[in-house]
Amino acid sequence: MNRRKSLQLLAAAGLMGPAAVLRAATDASVATVDDLPLISGPLTLYLGRGEGGLYEDILDAIRKRNPGLDLKVRRGPSSALANTIVAESGAGVSRADVFWAIDSGSIGRVVGDAKVRQLPSAIRNLLKTDFRFDAWAPISGRIRTVPFNTERLTREAVPKSIMALPERDLEVGWAPAYGAFQSFVTAMRLLNGEEATKAWLRAMRPKARSYAGEFGVVMAVSRGEIDLGLANHYYTLRLKKGRPAAPLDLAFTRNDAGCLLNTSGAVLLSDRPQAGLFVQHLLTREVQSYLSREAFEIPLVAGIQSPVGLPAISDIHPPAVDLEKLANLRPTLDLLRETGVL
Amino acid sequence: MSIAINQSRLRLYLPALPIVALAFLPVVVLVVLASGEPLSFGARNWRIFGNTVALTALTVGGAVLIGVPLAFATTCLRFRGAGVALAALAAPLAVPSYIGAFAYFAATGRGGELESILGFAPPEVRGLFGTAWVMTLYTFPFVLLSVRASLRRLDAGLVEAARTMGLSPLGAFLHVILPRIRGGLAAGALLVALYTLSDFATPAILGLDTFTRAIYVEYNAFGLSQAAWFSLQLLGLVAVILFFESRVRTARERPGRTLRWTPSLAFASGLWSAVGLIWLSAVGLPLALFLLWLRREGVSGFDLATLRHSVVPAALAAVFAVLCALPLARAASAGRIGRWMLRLTSFGFGIPGIVMGTVLVYVGLRLPFIYQTTAMLVVGYVLRFLPLATGSLREGLDRIEDNMTHAARSLGASPGEAFRRVSLPLIFPAALSGAALVFLEAMRELPLTLLLRPTGSETLTTRLWQVYEAGYFGEAALPGLLLILASSLAMLLFLRSERLLGLVAESEA
Repeated sequence: MNRRKSLQLLAAAGLMGPAAVLRAATDASVATVDDLPLISGPLTLYLGRGEGGLYEDILDAIRKRNPGLDLKVRRGPSSALANTIVAESGAGVSRADVFWAIDSGSIGRVVGDAKVRQLPSAIRNLLKTDFRFDAWAPISGRIRTVPFNTERLTREAVPKSIMALPERDLEVGWAPAYGAFQSFVTAMRLLNGEEATKAWLRAMRPKARSYAGEFGVVMAVSRGEIDLGLANHYYTLRLKKGRPAAPLDLAFTRNDAGCLLNTSGAVLLSDRPQAGLFVQHLLTREVQSYLSREAFEIPLVAGIQSPVGLPAISDIHPPAVDLEKLANLRPTLDLLRETGVL
Repeated sequence: MSIAINQSRLRLYLPALPIVALAFLPVVVLVVLASGEPLSFGARNWRIFGNTVALTALTVGGAVLIGVPLAFATTCLRFRGAGVALAALAAPLAVPSYIGAFAYFAATGRGGELESILGFAPPEVRGLFGTAWVMTLYTFPFVLLSVRASLRRLDAGLVEAARTMGLSPLGAFLHVILPRIRGGLAAGALLVALYTLSDFATPAILGLDTFTRAIYVEYNAFGLSQAAWFSLQLLGLVAVILFFESRVRTARERPGRTLRWTPSLAFASGLWSAVGLIWLSAVGLPLALFLLWLRREGVSGFDLATLRHSVVPAALAAVFAVLCALPLARAASAGRIGRWMLRLTSFGFGIPGIVMGTVLVYVGLRLPFIYQTTAMLVVGYVLRFLPLATGSLREGLDRIEDNMTHAARSLGASPGEAFRRVSLPLIFPAALSGAALVFLEAMRELPLTLLLRPTGSETLTTRLWQVYEAGYFGEAALPGLLLILASSLAMLLFLRSERLLGLVAESEA
């Protein structure tokens, strides 16, 4: 009843068109796992620190379906693995077949500086048209949001522009060490320039409380420790799934870094056929709807229902940012350190 | 005659040379790497330097404040269960400090495990003071044990004489006791400093930017020259500590009666509560937490292969470390040059794991056949823990080399035969304990393993690190408990094998 109610609330707030609910219908054109041949042979995957057990569940399912697959996984922070791949490529060493990262910045670094394989059109065409790239396959989407406490704040009190946030007298929570936050700051640098970003960070610092991760931010919002937070959308949806009555809701800024649409993605690093087949597995109806249903991530192949509780992407206005450019993290880190945020 | 001796010595030195070269390689690589680009010493660098020094100073201070009074209490006071108290106070050595950091990270602060048990959230343990607190908890036994060793050598008669001649208790402490425990105190404090400087995971988990953490951050960004630059600075600090350590002399005195007092009941119960509190903070908390998680989540998330991936490289490292240590130990027993060789290789123990890992990744990228193989991991362990094996072996060799081999030689045995038939059987126990020590230290090693492990083989320590990063604490239970078990065995060996700069040997002899 509660989830239904929050859906109605979102709809009433004009944030969710009925289309989002109706988009449940499955599309015959989406590949299912049964359409794919079995994967066999050795495969080395560099897996950027995923959403805990959820990605592991996907790997387990793929292993189970493909008994002939000898899958070796190297886990680590996405940016660290991206840099490892670049260093290996520079030294002429090749170890990984596939790189699956949770942010497109790391993907951009690898695509820009390491030897990668072009994506076969068979894989590219599985994706929605906005998400077709030559050298990498987006796997799932996540959007920057402003979770706010509904007991302390009305939706109208949340600014529509992220740049206006420092002017308001609001207590804010953020997680500066988290990759998604750093991508958000990178996007702000690209959209508004270094100086404006530095000024924004300086002005925000006294109002902001730091948390280790963005789930922590969202929990703090729901407890009323802070008025609002800056976090990826799915943390709020996951918390609401467990505690539908929590005084927590999602707000979106318009056309700025505050509602950046970022993606996880995969890169092919070898010509082994099993590498491409593995990425195809990630783009099947089963995996995509699992990611949407359990991890509340935004599916990027056509015809899969968006996660429950999220407005349709067409009703949100993410900024136009070249996702591969988010790879330029170093100036962002310098800025965060210079302003004392990190 | 003298030429003949030199030749026979040379024969002992030569086999050790390549091992010395290999052990010194990391320093050379670091210099090459760091000279790759112009380096600055900016504000961030100062902050990291300051944090590292402050953490080390606070930890040493804390360890002395806790360790010295407890050393007095456990040595000089007569009370029931003194042995139990001592065991409880030495027990923190059996818990790797990163396990403690992990436990405090999961238990304290808002949303921590303690909040759900106590009903309120104890303050979060993190930052400079939080890290210093955790580091102190797991290093003060070094001070405790070394000061105890000095106190046990102290003749009570001296103190009594001083008191009889009119010195106040404080004066007796300052003029009679303190000069005699100074050596032990310094040795223990320097060990604490060395441990604190090279620890990676504790400051990393508790959010303090020290050199080790900064090196990991730079390594992850593959800023290898910056990582090397930080590494060299850290090695500089380590070298300072090692220099002081080599100057520390513990006075050898004629043994006498140990100082003994019988405390009042109130004092004894106060002491017991202090001991209990320290044990609970250092050992009880992580144990309780891991057992709680084990009960809550079971063992289903645990893959037995993880244990294998920990055990196999560690066992290989143990074997190879002893094989490399043998020529070194023989060289060291032969003369001064040999002892210098030994000192050069023992620098490896001072090179923090994160630094050694960074160096070997760089080397590995140039030698692709060994990159990300078990062999690479084993090389890393051997370089880092070789001094543990040489230490054990040297003691074995020192005991026999002079008299028995000479006897064998004068009876006509060739040097090789004398070694094979006389020395080797005699040093076998020492070799075994050296190997066991390397094995257990390699098992609990984290940063080096994190960087060098072959793809797909998670070990107990890397599994724990992952669980920390992903926030699925429950799955840390079994790896954590197994690591505590391995460390407990290591500690028992540590105390038995009379290592640790010789100080435990004297305290427990």
